[in-house]
Amino acid sequence: MDLEEVKGVAWNARLKLTEEEMQEFAKDLEDVLSYFSVLDKAPDTGKHDFNPVPISNVLRDDEVARDVDAGSLRDSMDTYQDMVRGPRLT
Amino acid sequence: MSCHLTVEKLVTLNERYHPFSDLTKDLSDLTDYPPKFHFSAKDNICALGFQARAGSKILDGYRPPFDATVVRKMREADGILIGKTNMDEFGFGTFCTNSAFGVPLNPHDVERSCGGSSGGAAAIAALLEKHVSLAESTGGSISCPASFCGVIGFTPTYGRVSRYGLIDYANSLDKIGLIVRAPSDLRRFLPIISGPDKKDPTSCVQPRLELDGFKVKSVAVPEEALRNLDPAVLQAFEAALGKLKEQGIEAHRVSMPSLGFALAAYYVLATSEASTNLARYKGMLFGVRGGHIDQSFNDYFSEVRSANFGKEAKRRVLLGTYTRMVGFRDRYYLKALAVRQLIIKEYQGLMERDDAVLTPTMPFIAPRFTEIAKMKPLEVYQADFLTVPPNLTGMPHISLPCGYHDGMPIGMQFVAPHWEERRLLDVADRWCGEFKIRFPGAIA
Amino acid sequence: MMIGLEVHVQLPTRSKLFCSCSTSAEEPNSSICPTCLGFPGSRPSLNRRALEMGVEIARFLDCKIPEEVWFSRKTYFYPDLPKNFQITQYDSALGTDGCFIVNDKSIGIWRAHLEEDPGRIKRVGKSGEEVSLIDYNRSGIPLVEIVTAPDLSSPEEARTFLQELLVELRHIIGTTAGDEQSVRVDANISMDGERVEVKNIQGLRNLEKALKFEASRQFKMHEAGMKVVRETRRYDEERKVTMSSREKETEEDYGYIGEPDLGTFSVGAMARSMSTAETPLRRAQRMAGHYALDFGKMRQIVLTSMPLADLFELLAQRVEPEIALAWTLGPISANWSALLSRLDDQVKEDLASIVVLIANREITDSEARRRIGALASGECPSDLSCAVEDGLLDSIISTYIDEHPQVVKDYASNPKSANSVIGHVMKVAKGKYNSQEVVEAVKKEIEKRN
Repeated sequence: MDLEEVKGVAWNARLKLTEEEMQEFAKDLEDVLSYFSVLDKAPDTGKHDFNPVPISNVLRDDEVARDVDAGSLRDSMDTYQDMVRGPRLT
Repeated sequence: MSCHLTVEKLVTLNERYHPFSDLTKDLSDLTDYPPKFHFSAKDNICALGFQARAGSKILDGYRPPFDATVVRKMREADGILIGKTNMDEFGFGTFCTNSAFGVPLNPHDVERSCGGSSGGAAAIAALLEKHVSLAESTGGSISCPASFCGVIGFTPTYGRVSRYGLIDYANSLDKIGLIVRAPSDLRRFLPIISGPDKKDPTSCVQPRLELDGFKVKSVAVPEEALRNLDPAVLQAFEAALGKLKEQGIEAHRVSMPSLGFALAAYYVLATSEASTNLARYKGMLFGVRGGHIDQSFNDYFSEVRSANFGKEAKRRVLLGTYTRMVGFRDRYYLKALAVRQLIIKEYQGLMERDDAVLTPTMPFIAPRFTEIAKMKPLEVYQADFLTVPPNLTGMPHISLPCGYHDGMPIGMQFVAPHWEERRLLDVADRWCGEFKIRFPGAIA
Repeated sequence: MMIGLEVHVQLPTRSKLFCSCSTSAEEPNSSICPTCLGFPGSRPSLNRRALEMGVEIARFLDCKIPEEVWFSRKTYFYPDLPKNFQITQYDSALGTDGCFIVNDKSIGIWRAHLEEDPGRIKRVGKSGEEVSLIDYNRSGIPLVEIVTAPDLSSPEEARTFLQELLVELRHIIGTTAGDEQSVRVDANISMDGERVEVKNIQGLRNLEKALKFEASRQFKMHEAGMKVVRETRRYDEERKVTMSSREKETEEDYGYIGEPDLGTFSVGAMARSMSTAETPLRRAQRMAGHYALDFGKMRQIVLTSMPLADLFELLAQRVEPEIALAWTLGPISANWSALLSRLDDQVKEDLASIVVLIANREITDSEARRRIGALASGECPSDLSCAVEDGLLDSIISTYIDEHPQVVKDYASNPKSANSVIGHVMKVAKGKYNSQEVVEAVKKEIEKRN
């Protein structure tokens, strides 16, 4: 894995890495990914379940309920006129 | 006696072994009449009145506005939460050396690791009598520290215990379980923490928890699991097989080829999911705030994340982001999902004949911190090769102390089919009826 | 010109998609909880009604519905997205390969899927340096995203498509007319070459405006010999222009993975257990064909109210459809809100018998009107006496002129244009009126409109 590739992945994950970090991670990831290539040899079951046990049709009724006070949540955040402050969009 | 536990005693213990990352300041609720019991929760389990930092600087000061379902249930059963136990950041580690809030020390030898990621939970269970630790395992984070600290680590079936209020590492792998001193604690607390919870849909498909009615007669021992072990571990394990035979549990040597894929599949899935779970840490709604709101959002998010995630967290976020990117997703992420099903099938096949699968828990005894410092990331990951398979497949498992070497405990791990926790309770009762667990001397 | 739309419609559930917060809230950040704020340890739980509504929509769009569906995480970083991933559907949809017919043209529907809405961002400050203020009341509101094939060929057609789609959705899932403002659309538009995506167009009116602007921008570029580049643009409502979107400059890799907290859902079985109700515009189409009447008129009836359409169909069984239509759109519509408030089987029968009497020329037009008015005000119609006035005649004339407005325009320069109206009335009324009477009534009506 070259440094440019690490840089691209880091951007995707919104991580700013120092030069040393990038060098180090490039090597670590290289090691780990080459180990992961063992998966290429595994037979493909074609089953891509997201969970280890089947979970199906667990649904909630469409009812309004509240157990944490919205006001206290709002107070715990950085707000201006009850709107949450966020960074610049550009 | 529970009333003899004092805050002073906890503070002293914590100064010596650092099991806690947040500690109660008041134990006056802990009474003998009516009888109350004390418990701790791994720091990724949310509880009112305590910080929940999951070992991460990015959550420093975060006080969750709700109790995790397990904490609520333990409190409703007259439990008193005495503290949050230290852990590797978000569960990312095997030795509990990746916390932003100090490193817990092994009660059997303070120069050695407690194991991870529920290191604090195992240490406090070893140190405190009549204590129950709520722990959590993604890839072995209950078995490993239980083995290193010489206590019992119980990981229920995936979905048996509600994860509502658990700070996610990898949602398809995370399981809340128990670290305790005696099988009777499992029988007492497992029913309390189990059961469907509407707030966690994955807990809503479980059959009823049975505690009794199954006597284990034989176990399968995969040959692949006995390679690359510390000789002391292998010796203790073979000795344990002999004692089990005397107790009426036959060991069958088997081959389980899919084990060779488990570690890779696990790390792909765990990091893929983790890297999405950690996307929410951006310095806005909770936890640590970023520097200047006047920055562009990309800079704002990147800076707060880069400044507050530890090295292993960054490494796993990078790895998990990579394995789900366009062009790599099929090769890593989707293939790992398919491999998980393959391993489930193989376990199920083995357990058609034998009642459980048995291996050592860890390939070596608790290593010294000086040894850990020399290990490369891949070597650390490979240390999980025995705990990962049952975790990947969501099967219940238990780590029981089975011997000692140089005064350090060695563990063995039983794996049962999905929802068959009672088989593990059976072996725990029978084993602990004869095996004498050694606890380190607690502070008077 | 090829236009494809991604239409996002909020579903009118009581609670949000994955948590129990109310979907209706006045004050900013008053309907929020750990789940829709993405707090650590919170978890999603799927709203049954939202899933049902989504499946109802997919069925209505004639989509293929799979047996099982699941959700995925779409990871990208933006201040309005609490978890920095959106729970949506990626390699799974509620339905695929459907269609929706607009003006007799079939518009392909690629897919319909369910997802959560992000929070609402208010941009504050100078353009280009805006900071964000966010209201998370919207975070977690259920959305259905409907993706069309690039089958729409003009901004007008796109608008009609969306307008008619919304009409139908109101009937299927109970959205209200406010959906014309709240609907959000991403539009792909290409003239010949590269495809340009205009993102986040809010509301029906803005859709047509944004597309018209973008079409003319692309046309001008072609004229000037410039190449249209493949890009994402944003519609600025105030300046009424599309602008190159500078915010997400680097391409995001969404890194889709399955959502492991929800499991799978058997929507195939759910779809089979649902009954099919006829939607307004499909009904209008059927009625236009069945009664050989103008689709526009049928549309007017169904959009007024489905019970009015029921009543029309009742009348059309008893009398000539033309007469049923004239009375439905005339005196019955005029009294509709009052009639609807007391519309039981008896009232329906009374209305039907009044129209039958008229058709058989047993009562006068004005008597029929009086009786309908009486029914509307709750009096007993048979107690009222007759008076002579030719309302039915007026009704036939005005219906015809509504359909042929050119007549009125032409009349000023060429009074003979009234002849087409007169001919129509004589044909429909089958000699019920003398020609002098008809000519005068037609002239009166045309002059009234001039």
